[in-house]
This record gives sequence, structure tokens and C-alpha cells, in this order.
Amino acid sequence: MQKWAYTKRGYALAQSLSALKRRAWSSLSTLLVFGITMALPALIFFTADSLSRLGASTVSEESLTVYLKLQTSDLDGAELARSLSTQEAIRNTQFISRDEALAVFQQQANIQDALNVLGENPLPGAIVVFPTRQSLEADTIETLAKRLNALPEVDRVQYDLKWVKRLQSLLNLGRSIGWVLAGFLTLTALLVIGNTVRLELLRRQHELEVSHLLGAERSFLHRPMIYSGILFGFLGGLVACLISLVTLKWLGTASASLASLYSSSFTLGTPGPEQLFLVVAAATLLGLLGAIAALYQPSSHLLPNRR
Amino acid sequence: MIRFEHVSLEYTPGRFALRDVNFTLADGSFTFLTGHSGAGKSSLLKLITRLEKPTEGDISVDNIDYRSLKPRQEPQLRRQMGIVFQDNQLLHDRSVFDNVALPLIIGGYRLKDIQKRVNAALSRVALQHRAHDEPVLLSGGEQQRVGIARAVVAHPRVLLADEPTGNLDAQISAEIMQLLMQFSASGVTVLVATHDSGLLNTFNFPRLVLKQGRLSAQSVSAVNTGIQHQYHTEEQI
Repeated sequence: MQKWAYTKRGYALAQSLSALKRRAWSSLSTLLVFGITMALPALIFFTADSLSRLGASTVSEESLTVYLKLQTSDLDGAELARSLSTQEAIRNTQFISRDEALAVFQQQANIQDALNVLGENPLPGAIVVFPTRQSLEADTIETLAKRLNALPEVDRVQYDLKWVKRLQSLLNLGRSIGWVLAGFLTLTALLVIGNTVRLELLRRQHELEVSHLLGAERSFLHRPMIYSGILFGFLGGLVACLISLVTLKWLGTASASLASLYSSSFTLGTPGPEQLFLVVAAATLLGLLGAIAALYQPSSHLLPNRR
Repeated sequence: MIRFEHVSLEYTPGRFALRDVNFTLADGSFTFLTGHSGAGKSSLLKLITRLEKPTEGDISVDNIDYRSLKPRQEPQLRRQMGIVFQDNQLLHDRSVFDNVALPLIIGGYRLKDIQKRVNAALSRVALQHRAHDEPVLLSGGEQQRVGIARAVVAHPRVLLADEPTGNLDAQISAEIMQLLMQFSASGVTVLVATHDSGLLNTFNFPRLVLKQGRLSAQSVSAVNTGIQHQYHTEEQI
């Protein structure tokens, strides 16, 4: 044994590492099973950000049109637009004066005769309100519309939530399916680690019994199993990250060519170091929990003389 | 010192492994624990090592009263004892050195102390030159000597040996006995469980003779020179 292995913790780590090394093939297959199981939740986690960015960019041009009362002057309208742009949930505003509205209207329809009959510009001034990305939710937009409608200068507010609602429903459904799948797969990963630790307990029963007779405390007997669980979790997390990165790279090419057909700049982003760290940390935690579960129930009978 | 006072062990109602056992073994004594298979030798050793709890009676080892012992203190108690097993119970996935070092790692000793003590223990059983070999490469006698080195490496005050010569020939058995006697001479209380009549005839040490869970009258048949032994047999009670 290495020098560091002659301490209680060093001994436990050395035993866990040597068990991994001694049964290299079976350890590798366990790591692959764990890694593959963890890869799908990791992929969901990595792509969630890209998909939400896709959602946000799709609805980023969503806006509310606030029609002002006819008696509201252009000066007041422009001032209102400026004041609205500083308010919560509003990213930007664009004031359209009555004359600008008329000019646009005239370009789009040949109504000069009708206007001549009316004698004056019948169109009101308007403010186009662009909500912030965070506010692009049906409920928030409805609240914003009500707030705008209550203003004295405002005649009515017009908006279309159809796309927002559709996209949100799709994203919510995808998120729910993702969570359910992630839950099942996490449970599977937990069972994989639990079974691995139980097998390890069986393999090491002789050593555990001898150590128990030599005066080992429960923590000394448990520690190598706990470390094995953590090791499997940590290494499995790395495998999961590797599988996810390869998959993302492969999917990235396909998604980019699909996006180009829709003139979209959408890409499946590569996960950052924080995201990779989170996946490895979560897998390590799962390894620890799996080992604890295996040690306490229902494997307690595998440990010597637990009175 | 090991003291048993009216100790009984009942595994299931009416089935006694030990019944009203009384004896006191003085510090540094060497005693045989003998009797036929099923007489209760292993049960008695399990009581000393606290792997079993008596149904009745009091046990104390080195003035530690087992009645006041909490479960979390039991590992500490076992660390103060050395145990030699019949089949040596060595771990074959590590070297002789690492086998002997195990009680010290469990006890939380520093590396420097571990090296010093393991080398000294292996030297006492004349196996220092095999320190880095795997146990499987050693003969039966050598393996048992490694087992003894492991039992004494933490300098226990009590050494329990369960059939330590069970699988060994007469000459090697005698060597093992000489080793155990050396430890007894250095102040360790040694209790050797055996039913090897050859060994019992060759070495004239006091005996605790168990018959169907009771100490028999033969228990007072031998007296170790210079060391006081006090036995209470069923006949005396």
C-alpha cells in the first residue's frame, strides 16, 4: 500500500480504488451503465438553456400596441412612451404619431378618397410596447396590458398571446417530460450504485468480519463502501458529461442545418464548466446516497454483528 | 485479568451454551480452555470479545465491567485484545506487512508507529523477511505466525487464541505454543481454546475444562508456576 493508505481514510480510499482496479471490466461496465443513465438527465439540463433561449428569441418580437385617445397630443404620446420604457417588465417602446400612422396606412391601402371625405386624420397615435424577455409569459403580459389600459391617455391595448401561449405550453410540456424522465433515470442510477455497493459488501465480507473482530468501528467498516459509491458517482458523472458532449456535438450539426432552413440562428450551445461541474457533483451525490442506502437498508445484514 | 462471575449464556430458551461459569485469570497467566466440540469454548471467547452478551452474570476484563460498557465502546474493548484464529483469517489481497498493520490502522496509529510496531511484531515471529510477500506464498505455520503477529502488534493485555494449532503438525504447533508462552511471560494474559490432547499433554498449564457449558472439576487440575488462578467449578458451587 502507498504511505497515505495507512490512515483510516487513506485505507478506505485505497481499498475502494483497489477494488475498482482489481475488477476493471466489471467496474467499467458499471461506470458505463451509470454514465449512460445519467447522460439523458444531463442532456436535458444542458439543452434546457438553449431551448429557453430559442423560446425567448421566437417571442422577442412579441409586442403590445397601445392605442392612444384621439385628443392625446403627439407631445404627450411621446412623453408617455418615454416614461413607459423605464417601467418594470418593459424592454422598449416605440411611439407612432398620428401622422406617421396615417403615412403607413396610406402606403398599405389606397384610401385617399375616403380620407378626403373625412377631412381630417382619423387615426390615433400609438405606442408599441416590447416586454422584457422575462415578462414574455401569458399571465405577465395580461397584467401589463391591464396596467396600460388603465392609463388616462390610453384608448385600448391590442396584443396577440397565441404564439406566446403555444410556445410556452410546448416548453412546459417538454420540461415536465424532461423532469419525469430525469427522475426515473436518477432513481435508476441510484439503484445501480446501490447494487454495486451491495456486491462490494458481499465481496468484502471476510475483510469486514476480520476488521470487526480486530476492533473496527462501524465508520471504519462503512467508509470504503461510501468511498466506492462516491468514486462510482464521480467517475460516472464524468462519463455522463463525456457522452452528453459527444451527443451535443453530433446533434449540434443537425440542429444548425435545420435552423438554417428557417433562417434561424439557433444553435445547441456547449455546456459551460459550471454546468459540467453541476452534473458531476449531482452524480457524486447520487453515488453517496446510493452507498448510504445500500449500507443501511436492506443490506445491513451483510455487515458483521450489527447489534 | 479476566473475571467471570455466575455467567450463563442462553441462545434460545432452555438451550444454554454456558451455565453459571465462574473463574478468574490473573494478569500474565497462561490458561488452556478445553472441552469437546459444542462444550461452549467459542461461546466463552465470544463473551470475552463482546460478540455475545451473557444472559446472566458479570464479566470484567482488565477492570472493565461489561455491564457498564456501551455498544460504541465495544470496538475499543476489542482493540485492547489480541485474537488468534484457527484458520488465521489473513486477508489474501494484501502483503504480510499490511495484514499485520490492519489493527494499527483501525486504531488510528501514525505511519511511523505502524512501521515500527509491525517490524517488531514480525521480528518476534521471525518473519520480517516475508513482510512484502502475500500470505498465500507462506506455509501454514508461517501464516499462523503472521496471525499471531497481527494479534500482538497493538500490544494487547489479553491474547485469545481459538484453536491456534488446529491445522498444524506437532512440531509447528510446539513453535506456535512457544511464541504464545513468550507473550505470556511478558505480562500478557493468554487464553488458548483447544481440544488438541497432544498439546494439552505436552504443556502443563492450568485448564478451564468445559462440559456441556459448565466448568468441570478438572479445571483446577493444573497450576501455573508463580501465578495465582482461582476457579470455581460446579462441584464447588
